[in-house]
Formats: sequence, structure tokens, C-alpha cells
Amino acid sequence: MTKQLAVIFKKETLSFFEGVQAWVVLSVYILASMFTTFFVGGFFSINNTGLFSFFYFQPYIMAFLIPAVTMRLWAEERKNGTLEFLLTQPIPLSSIIIGKFLAAWFLCLCMLLLTAPLWIYMNVYFETDNLNIFSGYLACLLLSGSFCAVGCFISSFCSSPAVSYLWGLIITLFLSVHNFSGVVKALHLPLTLENKLSNIVNLNSHFYDIISGQISLDNILFFVLLTLISLSLNMASIEFKKN
Amino acid sequence: MIVVKNLCKNYGTKKAVNNVNFCISKGEIVSLLGPNGAGKTTLMRLLTGYIEPTSGEVRIFDKDIKAERLACLQKIGYVPESGFLYNDMTVAEFLHYTAQIRGLTAEEFSKNLKQIVENLELKTVINQKIETLSKGFKRRTGIAAALLHNPEILILDEPTEGLDPNQKFSLRNYLKNYGKDKIIIISTHIMEEVEAMSDRVILLNHGKLVKDTSPEELKELFPEHNIETAFYKITSEAE
Repeated sequence: MTKQLAVIFKKETLSFFEGVQAWVVLSVYILASMFTTFFVGGFFSINNTGLFSFFYFQPYIMAFLIPAVTMRLWAEERKNGTLEFLLTQPIPLSSIIIGKFLAAWFLCLCMLLLTAPLWIYMNVYFETDNLNIFSGYLACLLLSGSFCAVGCFISSFCSSPAVSYLWGLIITLFLSVHNFSGVVKALHLPLTLENKLSNIVNLNSHFYDIISGQISLDNILFFVLLTLISLSLNMASIEFKKN
Repeated sequence: MIVVKNLCKNYGTKKAVNNVNFCISKGEIVSLLGPNGAGKTTLMRLLTGYIEPTSGEVRIFDKDIKAERLACLQKIGYVPESGFLYNDMTVAEFLHYTAQIRGLTAEEFSKNLKQIVENLELKTVINQKIETLSKGFKRRTGIAAALLHNPEILILDEPTEGLDPNQKFSLRNYLKNYGKDKIIIISTHIMEEVEAMSDRVILLNHGKLVKDTSPEELKELFPEHNIETAFYKITSEAE
């Protein structure tokens, strides 16, 4: 199973880098991240020991870019008819799903690695809180994993990469900007429970908690669960669609 | 051996495959015949476990495909009707990718590849991108991928579509030879192919199995003594 998973991972990673997709995503990511860090986030004007001006905008940048990474993973297989080939090979569906997801997540890791010079630059010229920066990168990694899983799920029920991108953008943007307080309020729960639930379902609050150094279990679990639920839905969607 | 018992597949209210029963032994080349929409492709997808039956069962060498799908797929080589190749890969890359997914060792792959490339005359295009190939070469690339692991069961949906007469002739001979100690199931509309290759014909109409016989017996069913007429009369009668 692991060997076959590695084959899928390798194939998807190679197809990212052999085409223009990975290079466009990486270029746009680095440009958008540097622009927001220096020109919107006030890099020089705020207390930036934890690179807050960089991490603050990551949910929005990733919401735009990650659907572009995941859009073709399943949609193109369906569009080209290769899905039938893939699903009639002696390979567990879970290996295909995880292999594709890991390939997308690996590209996100490359995106984050590109920003490493910024961390080095901070260490050379400014006073930095490296532990805080580390937690910021951890938050970005968890967030990108969750968005990749959401994107994979969306791609699994679309027949066109463009449609998959649009739906992916809507959902990831929605997750990034919406705190779901209205939804929780509509449940008419007792105030303490309402506050607790609002915090649990709010992606931004978990993300910003981690980048401010609170690497707590509930914050990490939120992203892990979002990833696992999305991958399970991805599996269910493939099974449902083919039958 | 393939055993199909009371197999049904419904899409909403449409019965794509309706209570089909048959058994295929080693050494048989079976042609699946039927008009468009008769359920041939659905039946093939059920045999490969790609889709699940509404009821009934498919057993591949005594294993239930639903319960032991991966073990069954190890024994099956399947070529869908069309468009299942990765156009951005070369023929060699596609075959290598298929071999890796199937868990073939490097020695097994290079040994089988050499033989298949020679038999299917793919040598001239082995390093060519699939998107640049003619329909015939694409078809043969698909068949080569299905044959890489030397499967006990070969399921082919319209295998000679897009091939020129010479290619058809050599592929038929190759498959006939391959099917001597294996099971081959071919879905086709070409009656000359049925006569040239098959030991047995399974005729489907509206999802039902309406005839399971040899090509010779099928011909003798009507005074015209040809398969096309028999096909026409049986499928129109059933309507």
C-alpha cells in the first residue's frame, strides 16, 4: 500500500512540476506573500518579532492559491476518463486519495520553504522570536493541509478543473473569512456553550491562536479533523459518483 | 473461472443489467454482444468491480469481487472503451506507471514489456507522447498496459476500434493465442471479429442475457446462417 501510495505521490508531484502549474502557484504565492508582508502588513511599523505581518494574510492567500493546486487532481481524471483506469487497478482507493493529497500538500510545503529567506533575514537584522515564527509556520502547514484536503474533496465531484477551482475558492474563502457566529447563534444554545462552539468552529481563531504561540491540542485537532473529514468525504464522493 | 450469479445493476428505475447468470472457464474467449445500451459496458464494469451491483454476485477464481476486490483485480487486465490514457505521458512512461501501480518488479516489467511491445508492434512509438498517437496506437497502448502483469482474465471493450485491417488481423491472432489458457471477454459490434476469435457469444439486450451460445450455433439459429441476421432477429424479437 505504501509503495503504491508513493507511486501516486510521485506521479502527481511530477505532473505539477513538469507543467506550469507548480511554477505559477509558487511565483504568485511568493509575490502575494511578500507584497502583503511588506506593503499591507506594515512589516517595519509593527512589533514584528514573530513575523506577524507575514502570517496574518496566509489564510487569504492560501484560500486563493490552494484550490489552484488541487483543482485538477480528481477533476482531470474524471474529464479525461483516466479515473476508470485508475480505479480498476489493484490499489486501494485510500492510497490514491492520500497520495494525491500528499502531493498537493508537498507543493504547499515548497511554497512555505520559499519564504525561509525571510526568516533568515529577520534573524540577521532584527530581534526575533524564533519559537513564535516556528508556530506560525506550523499553523500555515496545518492550514494548507486542511485546504488541500478540502480542495481534493471538491475536485472529486467536479468534472472540470475550472469548476473545481471556483468551488474550492468559494469554500476555502468562506472558511477563511466566516466565523460562523451567526450559524451558532441560530442554534439558540446557552451563552457559555454558544461561545465555546463559536470558538471551536472558527478556523481563523484557531489559526491566529497558533501563530501567536498557543500550540494547544484543540487548535491542532481542529485542522487535523478538518483534513480527515474532507479526505473521508473525498472517498465517499468517489464511491458515490462511480455508482 | 468467472461466475456471475443473479447479477443486477439499476440506475434509478433503469435496469442496466437484469438478473444475468453465466460462468466462464479458462481457455474461453467470449464475445459480449448487444445493441447500444444493452448493458455490455455496465457488465464489464461489474466484472472489474469498478461499480457495485445492486444485487447478485461476481466471483473471480472463487473470490467475491465485492469482498476481495484488490485480490481479484490482480488477476484482471481491463481496457475500457476509450480515453483512459494519460495524454501527457509517453507510452513507456504510461506502461512504467501501470507496472508500478500493479507492484511489478523491475525485472518482471522489463521482461514483459519487451515481449508486449514486440507483439503489439509498439516499438516505433515507445517514446512518443500518447496525445500524439493515432487511435490505433492508443488502443494498443491500452491493451499493452492491461497485459503487463500477464493477467488470467483479460476484459476488452471494443479492442479493435480504430485499428486498420492489418492491425486488426495481428491483434486478433495475438489475442487468440493468448486466450488459449486464459479467459478473454471482448465487447464488440464487429461480427467478423466474433466469428474469427470467439469460442462463445453472450448476447445482451435491455440488460438481460438473451443468448449464451457458440458463434456456430448462433449462426444456425436462422435460415440466413449468419451472425448479423441472428443478432438483428434476436435483439428485435426481445424488444
